[in-house]
This record gives sequence, structure tokens and C-alpha cells, in this order.
Amino acid sequence: MPYIKDKRPETMLLEGEWNVGAYKYKAPHLLEEFVQGLKEKKLIGSMCIGCGKVIIPPRNICGRCHQRMEGRITVSNWGTVVCFVTSPPVEKGKFQVFGIDPVESGLIQEGSVLIPTFVRFDGADANIVTELCNVDPKDVFIGMRVKAIWAEEPQGQLSDLVGVEPI
Amino acid sequence: MEKQSEIIRVTGLPVAAGYNWSAGSQMEGFIKALAKKKIMGAKCSKCGYTYVPPRSRCGKCNAKIEDKDLVEISGKGSLVGYTTARVELDGAGNFQDLKKPKMIGAIKLEGSDSTIFMPIEGIDPKKAKEGMKVKVQWREKAKGELADIVCFKPEKS
Amino acid sequence: MRNVAIIGCGQTKHSSRRRDVNLAELVEEAVTNALVDAEMTMDEVNALVVGNMQGFGGVAQPEQWLGDWIGAPGKPVIRIATGGTTGGSVGQGGYYAVASGLYDVALAVAWEKHSDSREPGATMGLAHVGIANMFHAFNYGLSLKSLAATAGVGAAAGVAVYQARYYMHRSGCSIEHLDMVAAKARRNAAKNKYAHLQWPDCTPEDIAKTELIAYPFRYGHICPASDGASAIVFAEEKIAVKKAKQPAWIKGLASFSDEENQLQSENYGGVGVLDPSEQMGCRMSAKKAYKMAGITDPKKEIDLAEIYQPFPSQELLFAEKLGLFDEGKAWIAMEKGETDINGTIPTDLSGGVNATNAIGSSALQRILECALQIMGKAGEHQAPKKIRNAVAHGWGGNTNYITVTVLGDSPRR
Repeated sequence: MPYIKDKRPETMLLEGEWNVGAYKYKAPHLLEEFVQGLKEKKLIGSMCIGCGKVIIPPRNICGRCHQRMEGRITVSNWGTVVCFVTSPPVEKGKFQVFGIDPVESGLIQEGSVLIPTFVRFDGADANIVTELCNVDPKDVFIGMRVKAIWAEEPQGQLSDLVGVEPI
Repeated sequence: MEKQSEIIRVTGLPVAAGYNWSAGSQMEGFIKALAKKKIMGAKCSKCGYTYVPPRSRCGKCNAKIEDKDLVEISGKGSLVGYTTARVELDGAGNFQDLKKPKMIGAIKLEGSDSTIFMPIEGIDPKKAKEGMKVKVQWREKAKGELADIVCFKPEKS
Repeated sequence: MRNVAIIGCGQTKHSSRRRDVNLAELVEEAVTNALVDAEMTMDEVNALVVGNMQGFGGVAQPEQWLGDWIGAPGKPVIRIATGGTTGGSVGQGGYYAVASGLYDVALAVAWEKHSDSREPGATMGLAHVGIANMFHAFNYGLSLKSLAATAGVGAAAGVAVYQARYYMHRSGCSIEHLDMVAAKARRNAAKNKYAHLQWPDCTPEDIAKTELIAYPFRYGHICPASDGASAIVFAEEKIAVKKAKQPAWIKGLASFSDEENQLQSENYGGVGVLDPSEQMGCRMSAKKAYKMAGITDPKKEIDLAEIYQPFPSQELLFAEKLGLFDEGKAWIAMEKGETDINGTIPTDLSGGVNATNAIGSSALQRILECALQIMGKAGEHQAPKKIRNAVAHGWGGNTNYITVTVLGDSPRR
């Protein structure tokens, strides 16, 4: 591309590393409630006593009105696509996740198009980011009705919610 | 059941951030001179303060220090302060005892105004004293790396 | 509060690899340029505010390293890191230091040296900001496949690609308009000698030819990862009037965080609990800053804007949130040329973040560029009309934090 080039001398490089993975983080207990719900194929959210908004997964404090979110509500398995992004067909060696090539390791099929989607499940006021499956990327639109795809045998972990598919 | 490989259930992730810091021309001159077993310093042309390792801006008078202000510094100096370590970190957040105490000293090289911190060998920690004369111990085959300076030893031995 | 003005601005040339200098030397270059511009020596500066994005350059306490380089010994130094908005917060910190009456002259400097990181664009630096929020999710069995899907699409564009989709859906703007914004940024940058991605005759068609990363973003839409620094000298009224012919006065400022827009919040791997194009924090900041500046109708009273737009959709989106155009109408105004150099509200005449992104410094550069335009020192990219009021914007934090600074050609009365 015809960008103006900036040429200047380079000095030597000194190497170093920061092991970001060496830390231990404490997990919030609220996610425990959420994954226990997933085990029963339920999506659990918390309700704000101030504004009545329902957030999934549940959280302690409402970000907007700063009230406690004590109530627990199970939202629908059906929802609406509020936002989506389509990737170009996935190629081998294009990107890595924690040092693993997702195509090479068989996680994602080569040439498949990924559609990460914001889904607003009915009854919730927050989005879940998950994958839209079993659909031609050309047919996806904002406002599309979708339903949750569950793992065959939910284990009580986040991956129990595999994704969503059109109804 | 999902395959084990698809799920991360760990408290540590195999991730590290890697860096390649630019040395800058003064520091590059310092590191390259180590290959010839030479220690370079930078003398501020305005206030005369001499830095080892060299740098491009004087911290005392804020004047610019040019590449031409690089000066060779002798490998001899005196101990300004020191400490002795008896434990070290094992990399997992725990202390472990050292087999032999390690001595680290702040050394002011002759002709320099700043101090450098280096390991000291060949001195009994009980007999160490501020003001002791020390000299540099080079690695046998200097490669032009910071590790070329192995440690400092007493001048007399 | 005392009136405060900008009396000197300094930048380094920005490029992808400033390996001719180390971090301290890079920052020192900008500080020296600012002092030269202000016709001052370091002795006249009373306090320093410094900052870069945490984790990016791999230096834990950079102010300790470079303090000696920028004349900090013996002076109070404060370091501020608020993610992408760092520069905006550093600039506002410089204002507070003087406005509070604590110091008469303060120097604000912000920088980033992306090339010191081994990953392209210092992505690990960015990831570590999110990891702490997201880490617990791994203990609850987050599927590596869903993480890979998010990473595969979002790695280059992250939350902004969703934000762009939301914005386009809501406003009716199309991908061609993003091409136009990106081409404008590169053309404008060619006139700014400090900018990074300079492409003199870039057309939207040139941008449209670049590879699609994730709809609606093309390779040509994405900001670069730059090395560079920028510095500003702030002074109280008496000194400012004495030192500068036309100081750039800080008239109003505000910053807000909108938790609901936070990236990877308690939502697992989430990208904003709610609509990431809503940006309530920006609306609130703008409202407060305009009120402080005595501006009632930003559409008429603001003459120029510097918007933090690493992605072209953000220039349009934030122009609306800053009240410069009606909701959903910024792209129409842009199409008509109202944001060009001869337009009603010239926007990002410097090329903006889309052409130069040294993250820590980016938001400070927005304030700096507004100041240059008011002082008439912008050179080749100086707007032809008289700039009375300009607005500088910063976006970042964990995608939830906004700074808005309003500058003017006369002090607040």
C-alpha cells in the first residue's frame, strides 16, 4: 500500500517475559449458581430491586442504579439475535488461542464461518455472547429468533450452553 | 461428555507476555563494548556527572548527553554498600534456603559518579567493609551481553 | 477553580517501530518538544503527570525509569493509567494540578511503545486487562471452542466490531461510509508530520480493496499499533497570557465510566452486558463538560472535534454522543463533507487514532490537537476557519471509560 514509509536506524533489542498466567484469581460465587442452573438446562439471572432489570449471568450490584440484585429469575431458552459478527472462512494457522491452533486441533472445522452473536434471551435485559450454529451466514439478521442448544449431558459448566440456533 | 482438551479447568493459564525492549544507542554502545571487555560510561558535558551505564539525558542538570560523550571507565571501583542474601524465591512464591550466602554490592567505579549493583564474590561477608577496593570479573569469552560481567572480586586477590 | 491554559505542545514522530530510541528517550523527545514550544525550561515546571496503558510496554513502573529523563527529580510526579483513555486522564490530571492552585505550571506526558512487545499490537497487554475479569470463567468450564470463536472474529477488532454492527443497524449507515472515514483519516494524517499511517491520496475505493477481517471491518479500517509520545504544558492564567500569544484554554471537562458497557464483565467472555454502541458515559461526560464550558448548543458552538476513533464507526458514533450531530445522522453529515477540513465541524484533522494509535498517548493527542488548532499551530492540517471552541474525546478503560475535554480561545468567565 502506498503509505509514506518512516525509515530510521534500529538499536539492539533486549528480551524479557511476563508470565501473566502465574496468578491465581478467586471466582465469584454467583457464577456457581449460574452453572448449577445450566446443569438443569436453565438460564439463571439476577433482578435489580431498583430498576427491575434482569442480568444474566447473575451479578451482585446493578451497574446503572447501584442497587443490590438479590432476586433470582430463570429466563427463557428462546431469544433474539441483537448483534452478530461473521468471520471470513477460518483457515489453518490464522490465529491461536493460548498457543493452540483451533483448526489444527480440530476444535473448528477448516473453512467454516464463525458467527459470534449477542443473544437477548426472553425475560433478560442483558446479552449473552455465544455462537450461532446450524445456519447459513447469509440468512442471519438482527431480530432473528433463536433457541439455546444444550450439551447432551450438561456437566454444570459454562460450555453446557453450546450455542444458539434458529427456531 | 465433552473432551478434556476442550475445557480449561485451571487456575493458571499457559500465557506469557513477551517483550523486546529497544536499548537505545547509548545502551547499545555499552553492551557492544562489553564484548571487548570494556565498560563505557556517559559524561555529561554540562555538569560533568558520569553515568555507568551510559544514558542520553542527564538526570542532574537535564542536559542532553550525546553519543560522543561516551567515555571508557576502568574496571576498578570501591564498595559503597552491600547486603548478603541467605534465601531466594523458588518461582512459585516461596522462599528457599541458599546453600551458600550470596553477596550483592553497590559499586562506584573509578571515574564514575553513579553506582552499579553486582554480585560480589571472594569476600567473607563478615569481613566486608564499605570502601573496599573491588575489580570486575569478566566472563571468559565475552559475547557483548550484559552477562559478560560475571561479578566483582577484591582487587588484591 | 483557576483558569488553566495549554501553552505548549510536543509530540514525537509516530511509527510502527521507534527502535532508534528506548522508552525513556522516546518520552523525553516529546517533553523536550513541548518545552521548546512553550519557550520554557524544565526549571519553570512545578509538577508532572505521566502515564501509559498498563502492561503494554512491559515496564511496571515506567515513571521511575524515565523520571530522570524528563526533569522530574525534585518535583511531584503522579502516574495515571486508565486504559485506552490514559492520555485523556493524564491531560485532565495536568489541568487539575494547576486549576486546584497547587502548582502554576504542570507538564502532562503520555506515551506508548508498542514495538517493545513481542506480540503484534501488544495484544497480551490488552488481554491481561481482561483476564482478571474473565479468569474465573475458566474455572467454570468455558469451552475453548467458544473462546476460539470469539478470538477468531474479535482478535483484531474486539468489542468495536460488535459496536459497529449495532451502530450500523441503528443508524442505517453502511460499510462504504466506514471506508470513507478511514480514507479521510489516512489523507488527513498525510498532512500531519507526526502521524503514523499517512496515505496522501487515499480514496474509499482503496480502503474497500483491503481484506475483510470480520464484517463490517476491513483491514484498512483498523488503526495501527504505534510507538510515540505526546506532551502538553499547562499553565495558570497570568503565566499563560504572558507566555503564549493565543493560549488554548481548558473550559470544561468530565469523565464517566459506564459499567454496563464494560468489556468481559461478569458476563463470561462477554463483550458488554448491554449495547456497546450506547456509550452512556460519553453522553454524560459531554453534558457535564459543556455545562462547565457554558456551551448550550454544541452543534453551533463547537467548531472542531478530535474524536478517539481507532475504528471508523467510532468517529460517527461518538460524534453523535458528543451532541455534534443528531442521533444516527453523523454518517449523513460525513458524506456531505461536514467533517472535512472546510466543513462545519472538522473532525480528526490530525488523522485521529485511526491513523496513529500509541494507546497511552492517543487520548492526550486529541486534547493536544484541539489546542494546536486553537493556537493556530497545526501547520498543514490547520482548519481555515477561526476555531473558538473544540472538543477532545477519549474512549477506553475496559471499553467503558470516557473523557471529554472542551477547549476554547478565551478563558472561562
